[in-house]
Amino acid sequence: MNEQQIHSKITSVEIDVLRAVKQRTLEKFTEGPSVQRERLFFLLLPFFDQNQWSDDIEESAKTVSIVYAALHAHDQVKQDILATKKQQLTVLAGDFYSGIYYQMLASANNIAMIQRLATAIIKVSEKKAAFYDGNIYKIDEIEQSIYQIETELLSSFYHFYGFEKYMPLAGLVLTYIRYGTELECLQRGGQSLVIRMLNQTLRHPLHTERWLKDKLASLYEDILWTADNYALTYELKNFMLHQITPHQHKAEQLTREG
Amino acid sequence: MKLKLLYSDIKPELDLIEQELEQAVDSESPLLNDASLHLLQAGGKRIRPVFVLLAGKFGNYNVDVMKQVAVPLELIHMASLVHDDVIDDSEIRRGKPTVKAEWNNSVAMYTGDFILARALEYITDIDSPRLHHVLSKTMIEVCRGEIIQIEDKYKLDQNLRDYLRRIKRKTALLISSSCELGAMVSGADEKTVRHLRKFGYYIGMSFQIIDDILDFTSSDEELGKPAGSDFLQGNITLPILCARSNPEIYRLLQTNLNKDLTDEERLRIVQTIRNSPAINEAKAISERYLSKALKELNELPKGPARKTMRNIAFFIGKRKF
Repeated sequence: MNEQQIHSKITSVEIDVLRAVKQRTLEKFTEGPSVQRERLFFLLLPFFDQNQWSDDIEESAKTVSIVYAALHAHDQVKQDILATKKQQLTVLAGDFYSGIYYQMLASANNIAMIQRLATAIIKVSEKKAAFYDGNIYKIDEIEQSIYQIETELLSSFYHFYGFEKYMPLAGLVLTYIRYGTELECLQRGGQSLVIRMLNQTLRHPLHTERWLKDKLASLYEDILWTADNYALTYELKNFMLHQITPHQHKAEQLTREG
Repeated sequence: MKLKLLYSDIKPELDLIEQELEQAVDSESPLLNDASLHLLQAGGKRIRPVFVLLAGKFGNYNVDVMKQVAVPLELIHMASLVHDDVIDDSEIRRGKPTVKAEWNNSVAMYTGDFILARALEYITDIDSPRLHHVLSKTMIEVCRGEIIQIEDKYKLDQNLRDYLRRIKRKTALLISSSCELGAMVSGADEKTVRHLRKFGYYIGMSFQIIDDILDFTSSDEELGKPAGSDFLQGNITLPILCARSNPEIYRLLQTNLNKDLTDEERLRIVQTIRNSPAINEAKAISERYLSKALKELNELPKGPARKTMRNIAFFIGKRKF
C-alpha cells in the first residue's frame, strides 16, 4: 500500500465519520466534530499492515473516532463563558456524538464493543477529573494520566480485536502529538489544564517548557527505536513518521527559538 | 400526597434500585464520585425506573433482570440533567447547588460523560440488539429535542406543533422507552409492549406539560428554583403559547423576552400567566394526553401494576410540584 492509498483510505473513513455525525444546527454553530487523522491512521494501522479486517471492524474503528470527537467537544466547554448558543450546542454535540456511536454499534449488533468503549470513557473521564481534583502532584502521574487520556479508547479497540501489538508504537506517537500541542500552546502564551498542572508541579513555566522539549526529544527517540521493532513496510513506517513530522519541526523550531 | 407513596407496591425493589444507583456511580475518582452522589442524593421522582419495574410486571418479572434496565435509564436521565445545567447555566436544581455551581462546567461535563458511560456499561450486560436499538435511537432523539429547544429559544411565534415535537423528544421518548424496555426484557408479548410504549409516550407528554405549567404556578420554594425559569431562559412553553393570544400579554412577553429581569419583573410575568386562562388551556391539553394514556392502560391485563400505573397517571395530571 503506497502513501497515496493510505491517504485515500484515511480520507474515506474520515468522510464516513463526518457524515455519521452530521447535524445541521451543530454544524452551523459549533466547531464541528474533531476527527484527527493521526488517530484514524492508528485505528486503521492493522488494516494497512495486512491484518484480517472486516466491515464490522472498520465500523468499530469509526465509532472510536466518534467517541474521541464526543469527548473532545466536552473538553471545549469553557468555565468562564456564560451559556452562549455555541457553548450550549457544544455540550449537546458531545452528547449527540455519543448517541451516534452507541446507535452504530447497536445496529451492528456489537454490544460487547459498546461495553468496552463505555469502560474506556469511564477511565478517561476519571483521569480528566483527576486534573481538577488537585490530587496529581507527581510528574509521572501527570504523564500516566495524559497517556491514558490519549490512548485508552484506541487501546480498548486494539485489545478487542487482538491488535494490541500496535499499542506501544501508537501510544508513543499519540502522546508525542499531545505534548507537541501542549508546547505549542505554551509558546503562544496559552493555558491548558496540562500546562497548569505541569507549571504547578515544575513550579515555573520555563521549567515546563524545558520539560516538554526534553520529553518530545526522548519520545522521538523512542518512536524511532520502537518503529524499528515492527515489521511494517517502508511506506507505512514513512507515513507514520510523517504524522509526527509537523510536530517535530515545530518542536525543533521552538527549541532553537528557546 | 407524595408520588413516592404510590410506589409502595414496589418499594423494596425501588430501594434496591437506589442502592444499585449508588454503586453504579462509584468511581476511583473521588471528585466524580462526590459529584455523582451529590446529584443522586438531590433526589428525584425516579419515574423512569418506576415505569421500567411496573412494565416488567406484565411479563415474567425478575427484579435482577429489571434492574439492569431501570438503573441505566435513571443514569441516562441524570447524565442529561448534569449537562442541562451547564446548557442553562443553572445554579440550583431541586433546591441544591448544581454540579456546575458546586464545582465547575468541566467537572459537570466529565460527570455527565462518566454517568452516561456507566449507564451503557451497565445495560450492555443485556445482549439484546433490539433493546439497544430502541435506547440508542431514544438518546439521539432526546439530543435532537434539546438542539431544537435551543434553536427555538426566544421565538414567541412558534406554533403548538413545534412545542409538542420538542417535548416528545425531550421528555416523552425516554419515559416511553422505560415502559417499552421494561416490558421487552420481561418477555411481555408484542401487543403489551406496544401499549406500554404508547402509555409511556402519552404520560410523558402530560408530565412535561404539567412541569411547564408548574413553572408558572408554583412558588420558588416549591420548585427549588425561581418560578418562570423557562421564560427567563427563553424556553417558550405551552402556558406561554396559550397566553400569547391575549395581545396585552403578548406585548408583555415580547418586551421582556431575552432580557435580564429583576425579581419584580419576573414575578409580574409569572403572575400574569398564572392568572390568565392559559393555565387551564394547557391543563386541558395535558388532560387529553392523560386520557390517551389511560386508554392504552385499559388494553392491558388487570392487576396491581396496571392499578399503580393508573394512580401514577392521575397523580401526574393533578400534581402540585
